[in-house]
Amino acid sequence: MKGIRGISQLSTRLYAAQAARKAEFTGAAEHVTFQPQDVQVTRLPSGLVIASLENYSPASKIGVFVKAGCRYETPDNQGVTHLLRLASNLTTKGASSFKICRGVEAVGGNLSVTSSRENMIYTVDCLRDDIDTVMEYLINVTTAPEFRAWEVSDLTPRVKRDKAQAAQSAQIAVIESLHEAAYKNALCNSLYCPKHMVGNVQSGHLHQFVQNNFTSSRMALVGLGVDHTVLTQVGEQFLNIRSGAGTTGAEAQYRGGEIRLPGISSLLHSAVVSQSAAAGTSEAMAFSVLQHLLGAGLHVKRGSCASSKLVQGVAKATTDPFDVSAFNSSYSDSGLFGVYTISQPAAAGDVIKAALAEVKAVANGGVTAADLTRAKAQLKGQFLMSLETSDGLLEAMGTQALAKGSYCSVEEVSKNIDNVSLTDVSNAAKTFVTGKKTMASSGNLIKTPFVDEI
Amino acid sequence: MASRAPAATGRLLVGARKWYYGLCGFNKLGLLRDDTILEDADVKEALRRLPENQYNDRMFRLKRALDLSMKQQILPKDQWTKYEADFRYLTPYLEEVIREKNEREEWMKK
Repeated sequence: MKGIRGISQLSTRLYAAQAARKAEFTGAAEHVTFQPQDVQVTRLPSGLVIASLENYSPASKIGVFVKAGCRYETPDNQGVTHLLRLASNLTTKGASSFKICRGVEAVGGNLSVTSSRENMIYTVDCLRDDIDTVMEYLINVTTAPEFRAWEVSDLTPRVKRDKAQAAQSAQIAVIESLHEAAYKNALCNSLYCPKHMVGNVQSGHLHQFVQNNFTSSRMALVGLGVDHTVLTQVGEQFLNIRSGAGTTGAEAQYRGGEIRLPGISSLLHSAVVSQSAAAGTSEAMAFSVLQHLLGAGLHVKRGSCASSKLVQGVAKATTDPFDVSAFNSSYSDSGLFGVYTISQPAAAGDVIKAALAEVKAVANGGVTAADLTRAKAQLKGQFLMSLETSDGLLEAMGTQALAKGSYCSVEEVSKNIDNVSLTDVSNAAKTFVTGKKTMASSGNLIKTPFVDEI
Repeated sequence: MASRAPAATGRLLVGARKWYYGLCGFNKLGLLRDDTILEDADVKEALRRLPENQYNDRMFRLKRALDLSMKQQILPKDQWTKYEADFRYLTPYLEEVIREKNEREEWMKK
């Protein structure tokens, strides 16, 4: 590490002849070798999981992952996670809002929050030397926020802006409605603050949610380009404010329903799903392979998607522009699998029925070994490429640390993908075909069938 | 005023303060000391942060005092604000606003 920094300093100094004469660089022939490291995972007695990987990068990334997604919202504090996402820069016990913002900016770092239905992820990235500074702010934000009443009410315009932006995307509307229709509790909560709670989520709600859900046993501290012992020390000293398991989330209950969102859009978005498997199970792996078998997006930009069974099937039903792909998402205790179609309003019924017929064909055994190999290769490719970015790698490490307390190596995951057989895939398709369906549609609903008509 | 005064409250000091408080006269209109603060930018921000019930109480007291002053009257003696009951409700928020402003200015100087 020191050797490499020396080399770059030398190359800029060579502009000044005097500096070049003075600088004696010994060890120019020295070739510094770095051994590739594995991900290290430790579980502290308080339940906190620490995971880190030394990737020799000049920039470090640290994330605090908490099991505090919107599935843990209760009926009286709906929308609290949306506010929490926006509240990461508010005053904490150790630093005011101004100081957090300027302090992180001063070292050229980034503090951001992402939340999914299961997890809340606070990430900082900065140069390797400035880890201490930004770590202090990260710890402050995750363990000691003050949620001052006026600062929280100042967030209301930002909530409204987020919702307005989300409303512009038909995909977000359909997927949120899909979950709302599919589940009775937990997973039906939306990522966005519901309309009746905008302006009504108070500081007390935020405090209570943090108190109940940000406990040590539900958190993971993950670092890229950070020393494992440093992280473990930080975890032991600072992240054990609240111990215990907090309030246990409810088990998600699938109900299957339908939501129709009428609109004047010229494109009809529709998703038809049924319950699949929980993440981490072998069935979930089979569903992932099935998703790629049926077609999960373009692999060649602006291409004809010739390898996607869904696209080929629907192309026979309509000549108008359309798009279709398989939808698959898994959560810790449930999952959704189905098809997502975008079509012209008049052709909607034909498109949806053709897509579902393709899945039925797979269920009845219409899959060749070549298709299966292709699907597995595509799934492996997508998984491996998601680990190429530091964001993707951090997220993968963190979600695995939270879910299982360990990290599955890439080889293990590839082996699991290879172990999926033809029968697994057709069983997965059968589960979809016979399961109770949930449907969400948005746009001009003139020719859109109801869920019991498809 | 309270923050600058020495903490030691000998009987003489307290007596002097009480006498000055009565001399000011705003307690005869039912006002508290923080109701009479001049509203500059800092005070306006501190008022924005007041919890709603305290803000409503302040508005009521101000309205009552304005009404009395229009009628050239004062409250009956048993309704005057007592020195002991004078609650500095705005001072913590005001101090916080000033502290934040100083922090910003310190940062700008660097």
